[in-house]
Amino acid sequence: MTLLIERPSEFVEAPTGFSQETVRLASEAKNEPDWMLDFRLRAWQRFESMPWPKPTDEAWRRTRLTGFNLDNYAPFATHKGTAERQDLDPELLEALDEVDSAASLIYQDGGLLYRQESDNLARQSVIFTDLQTAVQQHPELVQRYFMTEAVSPDANKFTALHAALWDTGSFIFVPRNTTVTLPLQAILNQGDGVGGYHHTLLVAEEGAEVTVVDDLFGAQDAFQTSVVELIVRDNAQVRYINLQDFQHTAWNFLTGRAVLGKDTDLRWIQVSWGSRLTKAFLDLDLQGQGGHGELLGLYFPTRRQHIDHQTLQLHRVPNCFSDLLFNGALKHRARSVYMGIIKVLPGAQKTDAFQRNGNLILDRSARSDSIPGLEIEADDVRCTHAATAAQVEDEYVFYLMARGLTRPQAERMIVQGFLQGVLDRVPVESVMHKLEKVISRKISR
Amino acid sequence: MNAAARSRNCEEQKTHMSTLEIQNLHVAIGDTEILKGVDLTLHSGEIHAMMGPNGSGKSTLSYVIAGHPHYEVTQGDILLDGESILDMEADERARTGIFLAFQYPVSIPGVSVANFLRTAVSNVRGFTNKESAAADNGVIGSNLMPMREFRRELNTKMKEFNVDSSFARRYLNEGFSGGEKKRTEVLQMAMLEPKFAILDESDSGLDIDALKVVADGINKLATQDRGFLLITHYQRILNFVKPDYVSIFFGGRIVKTGGPEVALMLEERGYKWVEDELVAGAVPV
Repeated sequence: MTLLIERPSEFVEAPTGFSQETVRLASEAKNEPDWMLDFRLRAWQRFESMPWPKPTDEAWRRTRLTGFNLDNYAPFATHKGTAERQDLDPELLEALDEVDSAASLIYQDGGLLYRQESDNLARQSVIFTDLQTAVQQHPELVQRYFMTEAVSPDANKFTALHAALWDTGSFIFVPRNTTVTLPLQAILNQGDGVGGYHHTLLVAEEGAEVTVVDDLFGAQDAFQTSVVELIVRDNAQVRYINLQDFQHTAWNFLTGRAVLGKDTDLRWIQVSWGSRLTKAFLDLDLQGQGGHGELLGLYFPTRRQHIDHQTLQLHRVPNCFSDLLFNGALKHRARSVYMGIIKVLPGAQKTDAFQRNGNLILDRSARSDSIPGLEIEADDVRCTHAATAAQVEDEYVFYLMARGLTRPQAERMIVQGFLQGVLDRVPVESVMHKLEKVISRKISR
Repeated sequence: MNAAARSRNCEEQKTHMSTLEIQNLHVAIGDTEILKGVDLTLHSGEIHAMMGPNGSGKSTLSYVIAGHPHYEVTQGDILLDGESILDMEADERARTGIFLAFQYPVSIPGVSVANFLRTAVSNVRGFTNKESAAADNGVIGSNLMPMREFRRELNTKMKEFNVDSSFARRYLNEGFSGGEKKRTEVLQMAMLEPKFAILDESDSGLDIDALKVVADGINKLATQDRGFLLITHYQRILNFVKPDYVSIFFGGRIVKTGGPEVALMLEERGYKWVEDELVAGAVPV
């Protein structure tokens, strides 16, 4: 149990149903300024005007929303205040201590639960706070960057819903030429049976360097529609890890985009362990020459989980490099979908772009679909893509067992080996160990 | 060391003596019988060469001894020191001291030689026990052989068996040449220290220099507390590794067993002779 030491100034009745009134209630509960309420209401209108995805839509042909109905969920969680460290649930403490971080934020029940600050960050004028606080304290920055440049509320039905009802989220602002050495960590423990709308808004100004880890779990019988916005200005270096491990009853919709300026260096690691169904749209938008973007994905659906990643590597200008590698293992009637496009606009010469998706099928009941694609409108480019699907060979398992490994050890080693290409590029060692643990867990059950 | 000297050593060191007995072994895949009554007894300190043409069932025999799940033993038994190993999974057999050097070692991407071998050695030497493995879902980390100790031993043995130290970090058999694969098999054998090693055509596909390196490795490991079943198509490796016994395998069974002279006879007369003289003269089915 968490001890409540601070209560919201006003009590809000548990909301039911999704409507414009719901949006007002959500905003009111957070005592938001009018501009944010207006933003939400405009987004709600867009949400209402947009159709739900249909099975005939290319993006949704292989990922069906059958069984998903907003009416089954409370539209937003009621925030119950913050807690002290000693009152945090063991699960949260473990997640907190697993990653060696400069500062941490924990979210629960639609708001901030716990904050572990760092004087050092404050001295560097780095902002790392929950988005609700940022709306109050840094309205000019939020108005400038929040869903304006990277992900628009119009992007899809789910981003519109997110914009109307967003609740938890982090605002990370790293000023020009500032280096944050240790990772910044955000943890979300989403509540049960409720809609969640988590946001990550990262702005790395010119020459800034930062690593951010989002660790998302919970969401029993719930849904989550999250948005990730990474704004990487010229010469900045960003490492971003999104680690999604929701309950297997959760519907999960993610839209993320990184905008890369000149001579930037971004590595985004997207890990999709949890949820009953995930549909993730992930874009790299290379807007400045010399940009270097890596988008790496890991997934391991089991027991009928359905994980769908749809990616875009958008090369607008010449001399950029993008590398995409998504590796997944599947078992127990699980399904994965990977769709990816490398898009090179006219004039984006000397583009160097890679796209690889590998799937390791652990038993015959699992299935993976991989649809890589190229749209190239420049003539002097190097773009390659590849997709593979392989079974765990019985001969591999026998070989390792004949050397004395138990069957689970053999399988774990083969799967981990398969995923190693991505694991090797996880920039935070403690996160890599955490990933290895989850892989072991998934293999053994 | 000649055969007589080796068996003398064995008698002096009875505590290390082990016996692998294959008794009237019949093996099938589906309705097809592949092994049709194999009898063979192998003692510690012995090198038993088994020669036979392609498709005679030699590799099947090696797989069945190692515990490959695809084959069905329809009759007979395999005993290690009097205990049947037929009910054991491949990993249990490895832990009791059976080692199979593969004719075609598989390559496994992302799995480094050192990482894999540390887990294997830890299991085989009992750093990990079944209970802890089960409790931890077969995932073993803290109860592995200590890293420094393992590294020291691995480095020593890599030097001894002519495997470049860079191979420790390389992914298992990925991009290895034929010779490198076979040498790595020998290195693994050296690390796992089995009681009985079955070498399935460890000489195949090697040029003479690579063959000498592999043969040299086998000779180093041929101590009196270890027995070898050396399966080969050609007599060639027997110029470098001296067998105590040579059997000729044909049509799913052993048709002749004798001393090293059998290999020379086979080399001279070829497998046609086996078919004409030995199989025709064998007990009719």
